[in-house]
Amino acid sequence: MANYIIKRLLQVIPTLLGITLITFLIIQLAPGNPATLKLQMAGQGEMGESAIAQQIIQQTKELYGLDKPLIVQYLLWVKRVFTLDFGNSFKDHRPVLAKIAERLPITIQLNVISIVLVYLIAIPFGVYSATHADTFSDRALTLFFFFLYSLPSFWVAVLLIMFFGGGDFLDVFPVYGISSIGADSWPFFRWLTDRLWHLILPVTCLTYGGLAYLSRLTRAEMLEVIREDYIRTARAKGLSERVVIFKHALRNALLPIITLLAFLLPAMFGGSVIIESIFSIPGMGQLGFESVLSRDYPVIMAITTISALLTLVGLLISDILYATLDPRIKLE
Amino acid sequence: MRQQRETPHTYWRMVWKHFRQKHLAVAGLAVTLFFFAVAIFAPLLANDRPILVRHSGQWYWPIFSGLERVGPYHWKELKRDNLPRIYQGDLGAPGDFAVWPLVPYSATEYDLLASLEPPTVQHWFGTDDRGRDVLSRMIYGARISLSVGFVAVGIAVSIGILLGALAGYFGGWADQLVSRLIEILLTIPTFFMIIAIIAFLPPSIYNIMVVIGLTGWTGVARFVRAEFFKLKQLDFVLASRALGASSARLIFVHMLPNAMAPVLVSAVFGIAGAILTESSLSFLGFGVPPPTPSWGDILSQSRDYIEFAWWLTIFPGVAIFTSITAYNLVGEGLRDAMDPKLFR
Amino acid sequence: MHDSLRPQRILPLAATALLILLLSSCSDSRNATAFNKDWLITHLSAEPATLNPITSTDAYASNINDYIYESLLKRDEKTMELVPVLADSWDISADHLTYTFHLKKDIRWQDGHPFTANDILFSFERIRDPKVDSAHLRNYYQDIDRLEVIDDHTVRYHYRIPYFRALEFCGGIPIVAAHLFSETEDFNQSPIGRSPLGTGPFRFLKWDTGKEIVLVRNEQYWGEKPKLERVVFKVITDSTVALQVLKKGGLDLMSLRPIQWVKQTGSERFHKNFRKIKYYLPTYSYVGWNLRRPMFSDRRVRQAMTMLVNRESILKELLFGLGTIVTGNFYINSPAYNRYIQPYPYDPEGAVALLKAAGWEDHDGDGVLDKDGAPFSFEFLISAGSKFAEQLATIMQENLKQVGIQMGIRKLEWAVFIQNIQQHQFDACTLAWSLSWESDPFQLWHSSQAEKGSNFVGFKNAEADAIIETARKEFDAAKRNVLFHRFHEIIHEEQPYTFLFTTEALVAVARRFQNVQVYPMGLAPREWWATEQQSE
Repeated sequence: MANYIIKRLLQVIPTLLGITLITFLIIQLAPGNPATLKLQMAGQGEMGESAIAQQIIQQTKELYGLDKPLIVQYLLWVKRVFTLDFGNSFKDHRPVLAKIAERLPITIQLNVISIVLVYLIAIPFGVYSATHADTFSDRALTLFFFFLYSLPSFWVAVLLIMFFGGGDFLDVFPVYGISSIGADSWPFFRWLTDRLWHLILPVTCLTYGGLAYLSRLTRAEMLEVIREDYIRTARAKGLSERVVIFKHALRNALLPIITLLAFLLPAMFGGSVIIESIFSIPGMGQLGFESVLSRDYPVIMAITTISALLTLVGLLISDILYATLDPRIKLE
Repeated sequence: MRQQRETPHTYWRMVWKHFRQKHLAVAGLAVTLFFFAVAIFAPLLANDRPILVRHSGQWYWPIFSGLERVGPYHWKELKRDNLPRIYQGDLGAPGDFAVWPLVPYSATEYDLLASLEPPTVQHWFGTDDRGRDVLSRMIYGARISLSVGFVAVGIAVSIGILLGALAGYFGGWADQLVSRLIEILLTIPTFFMIIAIIAFLPPSIYNIMVVIGLTGWTGVARFVRAEFFKLKQLDFVLASRALGASSARLIFVHMLPNAMAPVLVSAVFGIAGAILTESSLSFLGFGVPPPTPSWGDILSQSRDYIEFAWWLTIFPGVAIFTSITAYNLVGEGLRDAMDPKLFR
Repeated sequence: MHDSLRPQRILPLAATALLILLLSSCSDSRNATAFNKDWLITHLSAEPATLNPITSTDAYASNINDYIYESLLKRDEKTMELVPVLADSWDISADHLTYTFHLKKDIRWQDGHPFTANDILFSFERIRDPKVDSAHLRNYYQDIDRLEVIDDHTVRYHYRIPYFRALEFCGGIPIVAAHLFSETEDFNQSPIGRSPLGTGPFRFLKWDTGKEIVLVRNEQYWGEKPKLERVVFKVITDSTVALQVLKKGGLDLMSLRPIQWVKQTGSERFHKNFRKIKYYLPTYSYVGWNLRRPMFSDRRVRQAMTMLVNRESILKELLFGLGTIVTGNFYINSPAYNRYIQPYPYDPEGAVALLKAAGWEDHDGDGVLDKDGAPFSFEFLISAGSKFAEQLATIMQENLKQVGIQMGIRKLEWAVFIQNIQQHQFDACTLAWSLSWESDPFQLWHSSQAEKGSNFVGFKNAEADAIIETARKEFDAAKRNVLFHRFHEIIHEEQPYTFLFTTEALVAVARRFQNVQVYPMGLAPREWWATEQQSE
């Protein structure tokens, strides 16, 4: 086991280097560069009148360290990252890690809540579908979840805001941000309800689409397990259906579902640019999107690297979990 | 060997038999085929010129010939007093007539004086901010949305099959390499990556397809890889190899058909996902370049007008989610129908 | 038998939880903050990158910094004359090369530290320091040889060449407080980027990333203190959502889009609570033709292209008439703009005739104009963020198709768009310029700027060059305007751009604010005060 973990950890290094190198090359070789972009920005689709002398652009490039050969730039970056220094954003010269630290908690709150909700809702319905396979209610559930999955989230977000956010219809939910102004000085309980109140619409938008996949997966896994011999044995022993389903079947069916969590890590870290921009939530999605648009290389690199690292570790943990929980699987 | 060849044939017949029993899946298939028909026949369903014109004893096909006028008849003028009528008999000379498409508007012709009109007899689905006919744009949009789905998934499936088969068949170094590659793709938030690449590439419908395809193959590759690991040990493969079959032959002729079931299912789900991704990209301004219509584009354009122009948001929204639901139902039906355990 | 599996068991639980949440927070979420009439809540559609006035480049930052920072002089809102702020007076040498500013003596930074000539020197040096991310400003101060500190309250700029905007540049320099910085610190990372400190009527209170930036009245302000207690900038990234928030009373001031102005703010109730104001700002939109391309090197073709764009109908139907067609490069409401020039009419037949005269005709009968065997086909660049550009492009494409010109549309993301334009990799594009009150055509139109400057269309005209050079040294505004009127004529004749519109800025302001004046350069909220709110 220890050997296996060490081996896997060693594998992380080349993968990580590969990811960073690919990202680095993509963003550097792509058209558009941060120096000229910064000098010409005056607003959307509008340019400032100032002239841009070539010499000044050159100075800005030197300032950003973009005048060196690509490979040197990459190696310098790697060297800095080893000391956990992801550099400063081109946009405002603040440390990239500080910018991420500012936004990550918000994104994680949103995503953790929505993932937990997806699991809480989808698994029971999946089990229900499996135990009622091919009945009318199973089909209705299938149809309903697919129906939800098929609704583009930006569309739903916009409609929800229109209907529940105090347009010409209901005024129930706040439509932007994640807390009321001044909420930071409120007592905890009031702060919490205010926060949750703000999160309801965005979390709804992030949640409904995931239900179909997970409930279908649960259903499939359950059906698979139910056909296994040990379930038959359990039934034959006269155990109640409830015990059979929950204690024996579900437990085993859940395994692949739980390990799925590892794959959700990058999405959790990356946030959702669409939902965040509609609801004015300053999360990772917005940060990533803006950094791509403004060619803020250090931020792009940091987001990719950290998300990659998290996922690799997540994959490792899920494999280990799998092996620990399922005696049939042995780690080489 | 003969036995081997025949199996797929009966297998697919079995699949179809099972599939047919699932009403939802069949309904999904019907909807899918309907959208297909719309996409294929789009120019005949919506166009700014007649399909067929009879003039002094001659037949003309303006849609195919690209003619702007025939004799005294200029399409624009003909259309002015024609709306909307399929058969236009009372042309200038006796015996002259024209047959029009159902929707007598092209997807790009605009009319600023008729902008943001709710559904009327002329414009069944209303008009957009430039006075373009929404129904016509949706009919042509069906082409874009469906082809994005198919081409993107086609690319994803091809890459996935190839890499998955290589990894699963050869194992060892090939497997290591492919597994690392899969890992790399898994670790970067997909949508972030798509946006990054789309932002960097010149926008075209093909780039969108390619990017969605390039980021979507990992699932297929993992299926195929796992399947090949299992198949490798099976008797018929070992036997073929003993008989001297080449690797390529083994992979593509003997093993692949047996691994196709999960691939097909995930491809169908993939199409649904690609259509959804395209619409999200449109919302962020990275969708198909103008003036090409796509459902996602029409839907995202409606953002500014949502409070009063319901037709701009309802029709494309419904089109997107019916088609995606349909694909999913087909995929679900296929999965069940292909499950060999259910054949028992 | 599957009793326990029923989802109904879980749902009531969730529903109850929701209900509790609903009951408990409904009461406080509505009026979350105690309403204060003397707070002005303004909409920000995006956050500024930094509030450091020397390194910031975006309009959001300069909008906010206007409340916090001051300079030696400013343009008076009403008269548009340059009037003293931190300077008491100034002297200009007869040769227009040295500018001496006498500073007011009792000015203090918001932390109590006195304001001196040293602060100006420090700021000037930072702008010129290649290690400081201020290239956008550095460009303006290229022609200054040095800045001399005569004493604590006197500074003198030495210009290399006489230049009519020199006073504005010298006097308008952004000034930061020198005592806040240490030698070793990287200026770009200085904390003032996140918590600015100036001499102005408002002081910075806080900045919640992605949420809000709050300024409070500077009670120690040296000048006339504003009546507003606070100015809050709320970040709401989606404009439709922002309008909804405004209607609910969560915002006092926001700019509207034309469609919102026309269709979504017409109700009785809106009118009762908000005043809608429109005014012109110095910007204009245009289509730029790349004069290096053979087809667009011919003036007649460019004129024809202008005559093929139905500007009146686009302005009326698409922009709801909220703007004016412009004919040249100066701000329509400035004295430099030549009001006698009439825009080219929408005239497809005239355009076809012009194209024919230039040799563009459909010789081979394929429905596309051609000349010397080459078809008239080009690509139109638009940037992904601009909805208007997309509308314009699709309309132009259809119009040009009618006369046999093939126009492809290429929608590029802003960074790529800018790069293509700077490398002259385009046939035609659409953009807008934002101008200053007094505009110098040098950067955009002088032939020396065609290779590496902002004259990206490659406009070269000897007479225009001569006018620009003379005007730059002409200190008499009236004489300069005569020159500029002639310049405008040349530009109109040559049509290197198809000039489109100056659109009106549209804003909604809560009715409780008084003294809301519209000046030539927009609104000045710092003069406003609020009465008790009269609505509901």
